[in-house]
Amino acid sequence: MTFRLTCPVCGKRDLYEFTFGGQDRGPRPEQEGLSADEHFRWVQFRMIPGGMGAGEDAGPRAGGQGQLQHEWWYHGQGCGVWFRTTRDPATNREVKDGGGEG
Amino acid sequence: MNWLRLRRLWHPAPLKRRYDTVIIGGGVHGLATAYYLARTHGIRDVAVLESQYIGFGGSGRNTAIVRANQRTPENVRFYAEGLKLWRTLTDELDYNLMFFNCGNLNLGHSEAALNGFRMAASTHNFLGVRSELLDPQQCAELIPGLDISDRPAFPIHGGLYHPPGGIVRHDAVVWGLAKGAAAHGVHIHQGCEVRGIDTEGGRVTGVRTSLGRIGCNRLGIMAGGYSTAVAAMLGIELPVHPLTIQATVTQPLKPFLHHVFSSGAYHVYANQTLKGEIAAGAHMDPQVNYTTDATAYYLKHQAEALVDLMPALSRVRFMRIWAGLADMTPDMAPILEGDLGFGGLYLDAGWGYFGFKSGPVAGKYMAEYMATGERPDILRTFQLKRFLENRYSGETAAVMKYGHWD
Ligand SMILES: Cc1cc2nc3c(=O)[nH]c(=O)nc-3n(C[C@H](O)[C@H](O)[C@H](O)COP(=O)(O)OP(=O)(O)OC[C@H]3O[C@@H](n4cnc5c(N)ncnc54)[C@H](O)[C@@H]3O)c2cc1C
Ligand SMILES: [Zn+2]
Repeated sequence: MTFRLTCPVCGKRDLYEFTFGGQDRGPRPEQEGLSADEHFRWVQFRMIPGGMGAGEDAGPRAGGQGQLQHEWWYHGQGCGVWFRTTRDPATNREVKDGGGEG
Repeated sequence: MNWLRLRRLWHPAPLKRRYDTVIIGGGVHGLATAYYLARTHGIRDVAVLESQYIGFGGSGRNTAIVRANQRTPENVRFYAEGLKLWRTLTDELDYNLMFFNCGNLNLGHSEAALNGFRMAASTHNFLGVRSELLDPQQCAELIPGLDISDRPAFPIHGGLYHPPGGIVRHDAVVWGLAKGAAAHGVHIHQGCEVRGIDTEGGRVTGVRTSLGRIGCNRLGIMAGGYSTAVAAMLGIELPVHPLTIQATVTQPLKPFLHHVFSSGAYHVYANQTLKGEIAAGAHMDPQVNYTTDATAYYLKHQAEALVDLMPALSRVRFMRIWAGLADMTPDMAPILEGDLGFGGLYLDAGWGYFGFKSGPVAGKYMAEYMATGERPDILRTFQLKRFLENRYSGETAAVMKYGHWD
């Protein structure tokens, strides 16, 4: 099943109009004094919540099932805006902040 | 009528509370590693823990294409050895893996693509792996249905033909390896989900599962697309992104397509299975997720691509569509690692859409790594730390690319 995302300008549109911009990792770390190791960790290393077994025991950083991911999307085949939304990688669905389907 | 009697390939074993070695994931990688641990290294106190059923992951969902036409010498060497293993394994396991050595034809749709093919073929030939450049006419001789006129959206400029590749029946590989591993004493536990990993003094000591705690000295994470979630149980972050790939099969047809063909520009590959269906993929959805959702969008895209390349397919019906997870790394090369900050912990993941063809060879070397504690030379190039040292593998320049993952 495909799903829809909510563009802040155009409203709900089909997934395939958008480009995935990745997990929202917050602002880029200050480069001053940043080691190469820390830099590359920020660029590529992830924990993606919601896989099999990522249940109650998984620990706070891993995120259990139903844990949400804040992420960036680009409405390339629409208005061309970049925006943030929240999605559950275990179900693929967009979720409103505070719960419930978006 | 003895030959008609059904015989189990392997028998469920009682769940012990402790094993020397535990492997998370009953896919080709987990099963092959267990098989070689027991067969080659005499480590028989091994359990494979599978949360669903063996082959539930990518191993039972892939399109079964095998080949060794990678881009970098390190990868070509590794996959070339993998390709040779199908024949020996068929004998060793005494089980027909149905290796159909039909060869793969990669289509190029621009001069730049052909230049890429030239470089790839040189690397292959230098390493003794057969690959050759074909012009459009030769492509059509190999695969008569291809439209080599300038009508298609992306006309065919030429091809890279790789005779040693082909198709292997993926279920047979899963079942055959399970049979072989169990025959050497490995316990395979299906319906056993790992939910946590215990450590003590910097070593792994066991796993917490849906069937209780199981102790171990060595632990292998071989959970395919779920590896990111399993590693996260130890607070380990990985550059591994789970993405869905989709595939289809059509109704069965009389044999007419005798090779695998593929096109990066169309994001499509296809072959005719031994049952006559056209099995085709692949489309990768853009967002990380752990579902196996298939979409109508993909079906439409697949139909357009197939019909544009091979117009005779236009009235053929799709029978089935499905999806599975691919564990994508930023450089399209896997991670085979025993240096993860915890003693006894090993990882075999990041296979993307190359993890079926590499299953047995990866298992062979992961077993050696886990048995001896010494990293085999051939695995040096697949270390995790390359991502922290900006030494990415050159595999992203390979000729096979099918998705948003660029
Ligand atoms: C549509 C599609 C087409 C593909 N085509 C090809 C192809 O043509 N050629 C090719 O080489 N590769 C192909 N691939 C890629 C290939 O299928 C995979 O890379 C490969 O199967 C990975 O094998 P694996 O053993 O590492 O993982 P998997 O087969 O995914 O096995 C991992 C297992 O771990 C289990 N698991 C996960 N979490 C837990 C847990 N917490 N506890 C216990 N068990 C757990 C899962 O249930 C699963 O069975 C394709 C993939 C897809 C989806
Ligand atoms: Zn918009």
